[in-house]
Amino acid sequence: MDMDGNLEALMAAYQAGDFAAARSLINRLSPQLHRFLDAQSSNPADADDLLQEAWLRIHRARHTYRPEKPVLPWIYAIARRVRIDHYRRQGRTTRHEQSWEQLDDKMSASPEAPRGEELEALLAPLSESQREVLEMLKVAGMSLEEVARATSCSVGSVKQKVHRAYEKLRQTMSLPELTRSGSVQ
Amino acid sequence: MRDTEIDEALAKAARVPREVPAELLTRIADTIEPAMQPVRVLPSTWVLIGGLVLISGAVALLGAARAGFQGVEALAIPARVLIFGTLALLTCVAAAQLVSEWIPGSPRRLTPAALLALVSLTLLGVFTLLFHDYRTEHFLTTGLACFSTGLLHAAPAALLGWWWLRRGWAMDTVSAGLTAGVLAGLAGMTVLELNCTDSQAPHVLVWHTLVVPASAAVGAVAGRLLRSL
Repeated sequence: MDMDGNLEALMAAYQAGDFAAARSLINRLSPQLHRFLDAQSSNPADADDLLQEAWLRIHRARHTYRPEKPVLPWIYAIARRVRIDHYRRQGRTTRHEQSWEQLDDKMSASPEAPRGEELEALLAPLSESQREVLEMLKVAGMSLEEVARATSCSVGSVKQKVHRAYEKLRQTMSLPELTRSGSVQ
Repeated sequence: MRDTEIDEALAKAARVPREVPAELLTRIADTIEPAMQPVRVLPSTWVLIGGLVLISGAVALLGAARAGFQGVEALAIPARVLIFGTLALLTCVAAAQLVSEWIPGSPRRLTPAALLALVSLTLLGVFTLLFHDYRTEHFLTTGLACFSTGLLHAAPAALLGWWWLRRGWAMDTVSAGLTAGVLAGLAGMTVLELNCTDSQAPHVLVWHTLVVPASAAVGAVAGRLLRSL
């Protein structure tokens, strides 16, 4: 098995019981999943636990992946559910589910300070739903259709979230103090 | 600021690598390794949908065979075509929706609530079009009998559907339960349309249609209980 192969081939090998393929997938996808799971987490150790939980769920549900289909929407759908369940367990169900399941642009920006990493700092003013859509599009490199599958919503809804996210980013990034501090450039 | 500038800023920020501790990656791999074995991939989506439609149809026909087909015999041909054609179509839509709920990353065209609204409103529309006897004789007694018959037949349809999709992976058990409830409710309602001879509009509009939302509510509660386990 070529461990530099595409994700779909690796996933098919993983389904066939190839541990090297599974390890290769874990190594390749964990950084972006870790970043995705870390968003708005109040405790940095949470992301490590969530990543482990996500891979366990991926392992248990690996038979539901359909060979030849894109892997990322399938994996992100599971990771997203892990994140939602985590928030629910933390007793923040209502606020976060509303922001994820519905299009809610009126939701206030995250009260938590970004951790100083540039992407997190850039996305900090966005709502959960806008942030997760941009992360999938810009970090994971997924298409609109794939993001729609991963987030269980329509392509139109994804486009609308992106549009609103860009509007908000445009406002934020145009602020003179932000521009001066170099967080945009 | 232009969109391309935002794109560039995002692309630049995304290029900053995220470090994941090597020991964490090793721990994840080590956790998975003992359970590594080949798995059988799920059948195609169409097989899963077809199975659910067949289960719903079989439950409805068996239920009506036990209770009698007086209801369909009392209907005129155009009414039969409209009612059972609509039920068949809605069953296919609900089955497709349920399969989507059961497989991660599937395209979802409707939310469970939208599906419930679509099914309920369509059936109300069809019944309003076909039934024009607005008397309310024995409204409660015959109504409750029909309602309980519908729910009683929805239960085996839901259980068999659950069994059929048992190898899937429900992402959100509440949504999946609600959708399964809609599908099962349609099976229960089909039994009523095949069997019930009461053609009073209030009876059909209220008690027959109520089977679907009631079944959906039971499904959502069951999904919530499953989630809390």
